[in-house]
Amino acid sequence: MAAIDVRGLEREYKSGLKAVRGIDLAVEPGEVYGFLGPNGAGKTTTVRMLVTLLRPTGGSATVAGFDVATEPAKVRRRIGVALQEAALDQLMTGRELMELQATLHGIPAKQVADRADELIGRVGLSQAAERRVGTYSGGMRRRLDLAMALIHAPEVLFLDEPTTGLDPTSRSTLWDEVRRLKADGTTVFLTTQYLEEADQLADRVGIIADGLIVAEGTPAALKAEVGLPHLDVSFADCPDLSRAKELLGRFGELRPAPEGADVSVAVAKGAEEIAPVVRVLDEAGFTVASLELVEPSLDDVFAEKTGRHLEGAAEPAAAPA
Amino acid sequence: MSTVGPTAEERHALGGFERADLRRQLAVVIALVRRALNEITRVPGASIPGVLAPTIFVIGLSSVFGQADQVPGFGAVDFKTFVVPVGFLQAAGFTGAATGVNLARDIEQGWFDRLLLCPAPRLTVLAGVVASAALRCLLPVSFLFAVAMTIGVDFPGIGGLLIALLLIMGLASAFACYAVTLALRFRTQQAAPLMQMGSFVGVLFTPAYVPKELLAGWLEAVATVNPVTQVLIGVRQSFVGETSWGETWPALLAVAGLILLFGAFAARGLRRYAS
Amino acid sequence: MIPVVLALARRAIVGNLRRPQFLAPLVIFPTMFLAVNVGGLTSTTGLRGFPKVDGFLDFQLAGALTQSLLLGGVSTGIASALEIEGGFFDRLVASPIPRFAIVLGRLLAASLVAGIQVLFFLALGLAFGATIKGGVLGVLLILLIGMIAGIGFGAIGQAIALRAKNASTVQGIFPLVLVILFVSSAFFPRDLLSAPADSIARFNPLSYLADGLRDPIISTVSWQPVLEGLAAAVGISVVAMGLSVLALRGRLRDA
Repeated sequence: MAAIDVRGLEREYKSGLKAVRGIDLAVEPGEVYGFLGPNGAGKTTTVRMLVTLLRPTGGSATVAGFDVATEPAKVRRRIGVALQEAALDQLMTGRELMELQATLHGIPAKQVADRADELIGRVGLSQAAERRVGTYSGGMRRRLDLAMALIHAPEVLFLDEPTTGLDPTSRSTLWDEVRRLKADGTTVFLTTQYLEEADQLADRVGIIADGLIVAEGTPAALKAEVGLPHLDVSFADCPDLSRAKELLGRFGELRPAPEGADVSVAVAKGAEEIAPVVRVLDEAGFTVASLELVEPSLDDVFAEKTGRHLEGAAEPAAAPA
Repeated sequence: MSTVGPTAEERHALGGFERADLRRQLAVVIALVRRALNEITRVPGASIPGVLAPTIFVIGLSSVFGQADQVPGFGAVDFKTFVVPVGFLQAAGFTGAATGVNLARDIEQGWFDRLLLCPAPRLTVLAGVVASAALRCLLPVSFLFAVAMTIGVDFPGIGGLLIALLLIMGLASAFACYAVTLALRFRTQQAAPLMQMGSFVGVLFTPAYVPKELLAGWLEAVATVNPVTQVLIGVRQSFVGETSWGETWPALLAVAGLILLFGAFAARGLRRYAS
Repeated sequence: MIPVVLALARRAIVGNLRRPQFLAPLVIFPTMFLAVNVGGLTSTTGLRGFPKVDGFLDFQLAGALTQSLLLGGVSTGIASALEIEGGFFDRLVASPIPRFAIVLGRLLAASLVAGIQVLFFLALGLAFGATIKGGVLGVLLILLIGMIAGIGFGAIGQAIALRAKNASTVQGIFPLVLVILFVSSAFFPRDLLSAPADSIARFNPLSYLADGLRDPIISTVSWQPVLEGLAAAVGISVVAMGLSVLALRGRLRDA
C-alpha cells in the first residue's frame, strides 16, 4: 500500500481558478518525495488538500491508507505537518508549545512532558526550551516547528518549504534531520523551490507547473532525460580547431560550443572521462586553458519541461554536500 | 530495507482520540484556554483597555445620565446600581468580540491551521476557544464589581452573584460563538467592528438605562424580542431587589438558546472552513 | 507647498474611500449609541433643569456628532500609524516635501471627512424628526466648527501615531477617548451631570465644542455658545497641530 496515493486530484476555487488540474502521484512508505515548483504552480494547494486543510473538488487522495476527504480525522492522526507559514505563538516558550501540541494530539498527560523533552533534545533546542519563541531565530523556529510536527511519531511527514529563507547552517541541520527520519522509516513529502534540496534529499521528484505534474522520477533519471553531462574546453593559443574537434569527437557527440569555450563534447560517464580527454589533448600538443564539466541540473529539467526557470535556482549551493 | 524507527503500531499507540476519550478532549480544552489566558499574563498592557472599558462605561454613564433615576416611574433604585449589570453584560460582549478578533488573527498568522491539523474533534477545538471567553470575561467583571462595591452599589448576595456570574459567562460564550462565526467567515481582523457591533447592539438594545416601561416605543418593542433583555433582568435582579426563580429561569433559557444558536453557526463555520 | 498638501490629502481621501470598512464605524457606532440613548432616555427631557428642546434626539445629535468626530481622530491616527508601519511615511520624509505639508495633507482629508460626518448626522436627525432651528446659517456654523474640530482630532491622532509608531497602540487610546467624552456635557445638560462629570465638564473643551454644535440645532443661533464652540475647535487644532509637528521632529531625530 502506498503511503500517499493521489488520483486525478483537482481543486477549483470559487472564483473559477483551477489551481490543481488533475494530478496523479504515489509515494511509497519510507520514501522521500520532493515536490518541486515555483510559487503559484499549485504546490501549496496540493499539500493543503493532502493534509486535510482543503477539500478536493475532484479526484481522490489517500494518505497513510485513509481518504483525505471522507476520513480526515484518521489522516490527521497519522500525519505530521510543518507548514511554511504556520505561526508559532511568540508569547509561549518552546516547551509550552511542544506540550500544547502533544495535548492537541491526544498524547496522554503522563507522557506529554517526556515526549516534549525528547523531541526538543532531538532538534537541539534543549538550551532554548524555556525561552519565549519570540526570541528564537528563523532556524530555531523551523526546528521547533519540525519537532512539533513529529510529536506523535507520524507515519507520513509533510514539510512545506522547510528551509526557505534559512542560513546555510540551519539548512544543513534540517537536512540531516530529514535524512534521519528517512532512516527511521518515515515517509516524507517535501515541497521546495530549491533544486539543491530536492537533489540532496529526495528519492523521487515530481515537478508541478500550472496545476499539473510535468515530470516525475529520480533526480538522476530526470537529469539524464534532459541530456548528458558535457565538457566545455577552451585552448590557450589558437590551435587547429578542426583537429581538436576530431580528437574530442571520439569521446562523444560534439555540441555547439557555448560562449568562452572552443569545443564542447557530451561525455556519458561525466567526471570519469576528464582525465582521458586531457591526456589525448596533451599528447596532440594542445594547451588547455580551461576545462569545465557541466552536468545537467534539475533546473535544466524544469526549464525543459515548463519553459521557465525555478526561483532560487540561481542561488549558490547553500550547504556542504 | 530494515527500518530502525518505530513500527506502525508503536506510532499508533502514541496519541489520538479514537476511543472517544473524554479526558484527552478535556485536556485539549484546558490547553487552549491556558494559551488564551497566556496573553493576559504575558502582555498585560494589551488587555488593560478591555478590562477597564466596561467600568469606564458604567462610571461614564452614571455620571452623565445619573439624573435619569429622577424620572417618574424609574423606581427607588439609583442609576449606577441599575447600569452596573449592563456593564457586566458589556464585559461579556467585549470579551466575546475579542475572542473572535484573536481567532481572526490566529487565522491570518497560520496558527489556526495548526489547530485544524490536530486530530482532536472539531467541536473540542471550538469548545476550547469559547471556554476561554467565558473565563476571560471574569477579569473585567471582577474589576467592575470591585469598583461598584466601592462606589456604593449594594452587595447582591452570594446566591444572586453566582446566578449573575453563570449568566454572564454563558453570555460571553454565546457572543464568542457569534464572533468566531464571523472570524471563520471573513478570516481577517478587519471584521472586528462587525463582531463588536453585534455585542454592542445585543447588550444595549435592552432596558439598559431605564425600566422597560420608560423606553421609547420602538426600543421597547426591540427590547421585548431581544433575548439579552431576559439575561439582563436575570443578572440585575439581585442588584435591584430580591432574587426570584421567576426572573432566573427565563434568563437561563435565553442564554442556553443563544449558545445553541450561535454555537451551531460557529460549528457550521468550522465545518465549512476547510472546504 | 499647497499642491503637495492637496496631493497628500487626495491620497488620504482615496485611501479612505477604498476602505469603507474603516470609515463606516465612525458613523455607525455613534448612530447606535444615539439610538440607544434616545430610545432609553427620551423621558428625561422633562427633568427640571433640562433646556427646552423638541425632543431628546434634537439634544443628542450634537453628542453623537462629537463622538463621531473623535472617532475620526482615532481613525486618522490609525491610518498614519499604518503608513509608518508600511514604510510609506519614511519615503515621504526622505523626499524634499516640507515636513509641515506631510502633517497638513492628512489633516485636510480628516477635515473633509468631518464635513461628511456633520452632514450625515444632520440628515439622520432630520429624517427621524429633529429640526434644525438655526436654519441654513446654523448648518453652516455647525459645518465650520465640525470641520475645524476634525482637523484638531486628526492632529491628536497623528501625533499619537508618530510617537507610538504602531496601529494597535493608537487603537488602544479608544477607551480614553470615551472617558474624556463622558466627562463633558456632550450627552446630557451640564446642570444635570453627576460626579465626577459635573465638576470636570466645566473645564473640558469637548463640553464647549458639543454645546457649540448643539446650539444651532435646538435654538436660533445664539452667538455665545457658537463662538465658544468655535474657540474650542480652533484651540484644540492649534495645540494638537503643534504636538503633531513636535512629534514629527522627534521622530526625525530618532530616525
